[in-house]
Amino acid sequence: MNQVREPAFDRAVGRVLRVGAFACFFIMVGGLGAGLFLSGHIPADIERVGVLLIIATPVVRVVVACFLFFREKDYRHGWISLGVFLILMMGALFGMGEH
Amino acid sequence: MVTVLLLVLGFFAGLLGALTGIGGGVLLTPILALHFGIPIREAIGTSLVAVITTSAASSSVHLQRHTTDIRLGMTLELATSLGAAVMAYLVGYFNRGVLEGLFAAFLLYSSIMILSKGGKVKPEDESSPAVNGDLVIPPYEPKRYPLGLGASLVAGAMSGLLGIGGGPIKVPVMFIFMSVPLMVATATSNFMIGVTAAASAMVYYRRGDILVQIAAPLAVGVFVGSLLGARLAPRIHTRVVMYLLVGVMLYLAAHLTFHLLRGGV
Repeated sequence: MNQVREPAFDRAVGRVLRVGAFACFFIMVGGLGAGLFLSGHIPADIERVGVLLIIATPVVRVVVACFLFFREKDYRHGWISLGVFLILMMGALFGMGEH
Repeated sequence: MVTVLLLVLGFFAGLLGALTGIGGGVLLTPILALHFGIPIREAIGTSLVAVITTSAASSSVHLQRHTTDIRLGMTLELATSLGAAVMAYLVGYFNRGVLEGLFAAFLLYSSIMILSKGGKVKPEDESSPAVNGDLVIPPYEPKRYPLGLGASLVAGAMSGLLGIGGGPIKVPVMFIFMSVPLMVATATSNFMIGVTAAASAMVYYRRGDILVQIAAPLAVGVFVGSLLGARLAPRIHTRVVMYLLVGVMLYLAAHLTFHLLRGGV
């Protein structure tokens, strides 16, 4: 924002978060519902998809913002977003192979 | 039965979070550890999923109101996500006692902070008149970025360590030192929590510290609770709810300390 208000930018980023949160909610409800009728690993697999989707939602939000910054030729914030994305990916690598 | 209890727990954590501005992670982690017998590291990882859900749901509302400074948030996220990822990695080497002790200290500190402010933690509405449904935000230019980045690094590390949002650090720093209006600081902090928690959550997930069958009912409950809380917030006396929250936090701090001294159950 910094003085300039950009409703379209806010809307696009907000939409990513809303879609991610609602999709995660419905998938997890689906997983919990499946747990009532199904045994085995299917309910847990559905819930895992929901968990991964909600973790991925902020990452997608960073990617979308990065794309929008570069499209607006705001290179400074475009590179900053790319940096945040790389740190997130580094975080994913950090936990690899540990238990 | 456990699933129903987790749904209810998530619902109340989300409701309290939306009513008081204190994220659900503060309550969820100790309750999962103490009452569901989940090791504290898994409890932290699992509650991070609920923290991301709350942030995604609530910051989409703030974005609709155009009160979030995406550029400022993205810049500070460089520090929060780095702090969160590194600390989440280091947590793998901490033992249970250290984590429980730190969490109990954090609960105690938060309770004292709330009590010292007389039960107020949410920003007052900055007499922001609505013009055509839009909130009016005074012009500003964020200052002292190095300080903001330093505080964000600490907030991120706290998030990776304890599975919390870190708002109580970021909001005052943005407001007091960076000259950001309080309404924008709160919305931007909320916006940053999702990415910060995601940075930690990926490390916890890869390490096997997120229990999906616990996280799913919690996230569903938190989602519904925070949506309801956001609607109820203007109609409820938040100070009463805040004292209730302080009571719960003090109980959890005492229980965690007792649990720690006994060497776990």
